[in-house]
Amino acid sequence: MDEIRFTLNGKEVSYAGSATDRLLDVLRNDYRCTSVKCGCKEGECGACSVLIDGVLYNSCCVAMGAINGASVVTMEGFRETKRFEALEKAFGEVSAVQCGFCIPGMVLAAEALLSKNPHPTEDEIREGLSGNLCRCTGYNAIVNAVNNAAKEGNGLW
Amino acid sequence: MVNGYVAASLREALEIRASHDVVPYAGGTDLMVENRQGVEYLFLNKVPELRTITADDQYVRIGAAVTFTEAIASPDVPQLMKEAVSRIAAPAIRNAGTFGGNLGNGSAKADSVLIEFVADAKLRLVSKKGERIVDVDKFYLGRKKLDLGSDELIAEVLLPKQGLEQYSYEKVGGRNALAISRVSFAGVFAAKDGKITNVAAAFGAVADTVLRYRDIEAMLIGKTVDEAKALKADYLKAYAERMVLTRGRVSAEYRKSVCMNLLDGFLTKFGI
Repeated sequence: MDEIRFTLNGKEVSYAGSATDRLLDVLRNDYRCTSVKCGCKEGECGACSVLIDGVLYNSCCVAMGAINGASVVTMEGFRETKRFEALEKAFGEVSAVQCGFCIPGMVLAAEALLSKNPHPTEDEIREGLSGNLCRCTGYNAIVNAVNNAAKEGNGLW
Repeated sequence: MVNGYVAASLREALEIRASHDVVPYAGGTDLMVENRQGVEYLFLNKVPELRTITADDQYVRIGAAVTFTEAIASPDVPQLMKEAVSRIAAPAIRNAGTFGGNLGNGSAKADSVLIEFVADAKLRLVSKKGERIVDVDKFYLGRKKLDLGSDELIAEVLLPKQGLEQYSYEKVGGRNALAISRVSFAGVFAAKDGKITNVAAAFGAVADTVLRYRDIEAMLIGKTVDEAKALKADYLKAYAERMVLTRGRVSAEYRKSVCMNLLDGFLTKFGI
C-alpha cells in the first residue's frame, strides 16, 4: 500500500502510519511541529489550527488519509513569511499574548481570515477567530492586534 | 495506505464501498471526535462528483462532500440553509464539515438536517447497483440508524428551490460560536390567494430524530390567517401533547418550553 504523501511547510514528506491517525498527533509526534497544540481533541478550541491548501482546519479533526496530496502549513512554516512578521509585531505591540498556548492557532486563524478578507470589520475579526479559545486575554487585545496587522500590513494580504 | 482508501471518483468510491467494510469519511469533524478504533476509512473528500452544487428547475443539489463554507458562498443555496449552517461551530469546522457527514452521523442535532426536514428535501443514495431517491425523514430510522445499505453512499441532498423564502430559524445553544444545538427550530410558511399552503415546523436536538408532525400542520393548511389564528390554541395544544422529548444536556421540560415558545413565535411572525 502507498504511503500518504503531502507537503509540510513546503517540504514533501510521506507518512507510512495509519490513515486514521490524527493529523494533530502526527504533526506533533512524528514531525515535531509542536506549535500545533492539543487542547480538546473535539474541534472546540482551535489550538491545533493548521492551514491545509490555504484553508483553516482543526488538525485534531483531520485524519491523515484526508491530506494525501495536500499542502499543510503550521506556525513552523508560517513564521518564515512577511505576513507573520506583521502579525507578530501587531500581537506584540498590544500585548495580545499571555500564556501563548492559543497563539499559533490564533495567528493562523488571522492569516486565514486576512487572506480572504484583507480589511475585516471588528465583527468579521471576531467571527474569524470564533473557533479559537483564549483563557488569558479576554480577546479584545487579540482582536485589536489583528485589526492593527490588517492596517499596518496593508498590501501583504 | 494503511487503514484507508482514497477515492478519486465516485465509481471508485462505490467499488471500495461494496467490497470492503469501510466507514465513509467526508469532513471528519464527527468521526475524529468519535475516534472509533479498528476501522478503515473511505476518504470521499476528493471525489469530484460529491463536491458540486448544481441547480435544476426544482432542486438545489448539494453534493455530500460539499462543506458548509462552500454552501454559504454559493448563490444557489437558499437563505434558510445558509443561515443554519453559518451558525455551525466556527470557521475551521465549517471548512471541513459536510452535508453528507451531517446526515451520515445520524444525529438529531445536525443543523443542516433540520432544514432538510422542514424543506421536504430528498436524498440521492448511490451504490454500484444504481441509485435511489429517499425522503429525508424516511432516511432517519432512529438515533444513529439510517436507511443506508453497507454498499451505499449518500451522493447529494435535493433541496427544493422554491417555497423556503418565508421562514423562522432559531438555534438555542450554550454560546454563540462552537455550540451544539440544545434546541433548534425551523419553520417554513407559505400562503397563496389568502390561504395557507405550507406551515412546516421541525424541531432538532430534542429527540432521537428531528421531529415534524404533518398531521398537526394539516390543521392550518387551506385556512386563512384569521382562521388559523382561531385554531392556534388547539394547534399548540396538539404539539404540546404529541411532543415527548428526551433529556440531553438540558432537561426535557426546558426543551419542551423552548420548543413551544419557538413554535408560537413562528406563527406570530406570520400573523397567526
